[in-house]
Amino acid sequence: MIEIDQLHKKFGDTEVLKGISLTIAPGEVVSILGASGSGKSTLMRCMNGLAGLNGGSLLIDGLDVSKPRELREIRKRCATVFQHFNLYPHLSVLENITLAPIDVLGRKKAEVEAEAFALLKQVGLADRADAYPGQLSGGQKQRIGICRALAMQPRYLLLDEVTSALDPEMTGEVLDVLAALARSGTTMIFVTHEIAFAREISSRIVFLDDGVVRADMPTDRFFAEDGGYGDERIARFLAKMRNK
Amino acid sequence: MNFSAIIGYLGMFWDGFLVTASVSALSIAGSFIIGVIVAFGAVSRRPAVRRLARGYIGLFRNIPFIVQVFFFYFGLPEIGIYIDAFTTGTMALSIAVGAYAADVLRAGIENVDTGVIEAAEVSGLSRLKIYRRIILPIALRVSLRPLGSVFINLVLTTSILSTITLNELTGNAKIVASDTFRPFEVYFFLLLFYCVLTYLLSLLINLWHRHLNRFMRGAE
Repeated sequence: MIEIDQLHKKFGDTEVLKGISLTIAPGEVVSILGASGSGKSTLMRCMNGLAGLNGGSLLIDGLDVSKPRELREIRKRCATVFQHFNLYPHLSVLENITLAPIDVLGRKKAEVEAEAFALLKQVGLADRADAYPGQLSGGQKQRIGICRALAMQPRYLLLDEVTSALDPEMTGEVLDVLAALARSGTTMIFVTHEIAFAREISSRIVFLDDGVVRADMPTDRFFAEDGGYGDERIARFLAKMRNK
Repeated sequence: MNFSAIIGYLGMFWDGFLVTASVSALSIAGSFIIGVIVAFGAVSRRPAVRRLARGYIGLFRNIPFIVQVFFFYFGLPEIGIYIDAFTTGTMALSIAVGAYAADVLRAGIENVDTGVIEAAEVSGLSRLKIYRRIILPIALRVSLRPLGSVFINLVLTTSILSTITLNELTGNAKIVASDTFRPFEVYFFLLLFYCVLTYLLSLLINLWHRHLNRFMRGAE
């Protein structure tokens, strides 16, 4: 369970998150939508402890992200996939995937490697285990990024605009992997601009606008005429995204 | 020109060579370790640590090496601290060259993509592991060549240790020169020795550089 209560975050004098409250239950697939600068990515960075809080609280399974010792535990349960992949350039694909499970979870190398191969197979990259990130295309890199996150066997998967740096063709291959994942029961939190995709796979939509939650409703309701579309700000956003 | 005059002294050259090589090897290791620690200090999030590390770099880059060696070897005994010439030389070189190594490494570390570091952080790796497994190998990839120049300079600087009675290459060569009255031949020979030593070192650095950059092969 992720419990966010009155979360505030400032960068210098600019308040980016102005009191966010959200609860996400295990197994939910939630998409966080909003225009650029609405605070989506910052909210995600607060969840994995990359950004500190300036007010309010953020608990994951009752653990407090602002306490270093509890954050360490949170990071074992909560994996992140990044917009720019952020693979380790000097490690092979296999090492990228197995580093943290071996080192952080203290698991056996042989076991983790076997799982890594299974994951690579799932994303269609079984033959690239020995390649280095520099030898892969963007779409391949991102699929490795997803494998690296999944190798931690996380309860929560945070996905921060994972297709924004990809061209449309590669976006498809990554979204296919994610759609399969969403059906598997992992709790997933998407920050995304892929409206159609969010609509297809998430059970709930949270719409951020200027640092506050403007809408938080089941996906069906969000896309209904009298739901999200009923809100003038959201309707404008959706119309704009559709024209892109 | 008469090189036959120095043939009888080849043993002395060899002894000197061994001293120079061991001081160099130990000081390269020492200065690298100091360099890594100080470089990470210089990019620390804690202002006090950062100031300390940058102060170290600033201080030792601004003292003539020979003055530093004299201070350790001739100054410290005045206050009751005696260290032999070999240890003094190794220590002084490690400390002084450590400052240069730190500065080169700091630049490499600052170049590492913050996104990659963040990925390591959120995966739960400890700070130390992130430094050792992620940041240092990536930073070394670009820092190794300039670091190589620093280390070659270190080898050349060992010649200064002849001034504190250490019988390394240059020290022994001076003795041979005054014994044989053949300074031209002796110092020509000395030049060759240093060239060979630094050339071997640059070969090693190239090999290491290639190893660190192996992942760049075939990259688009």
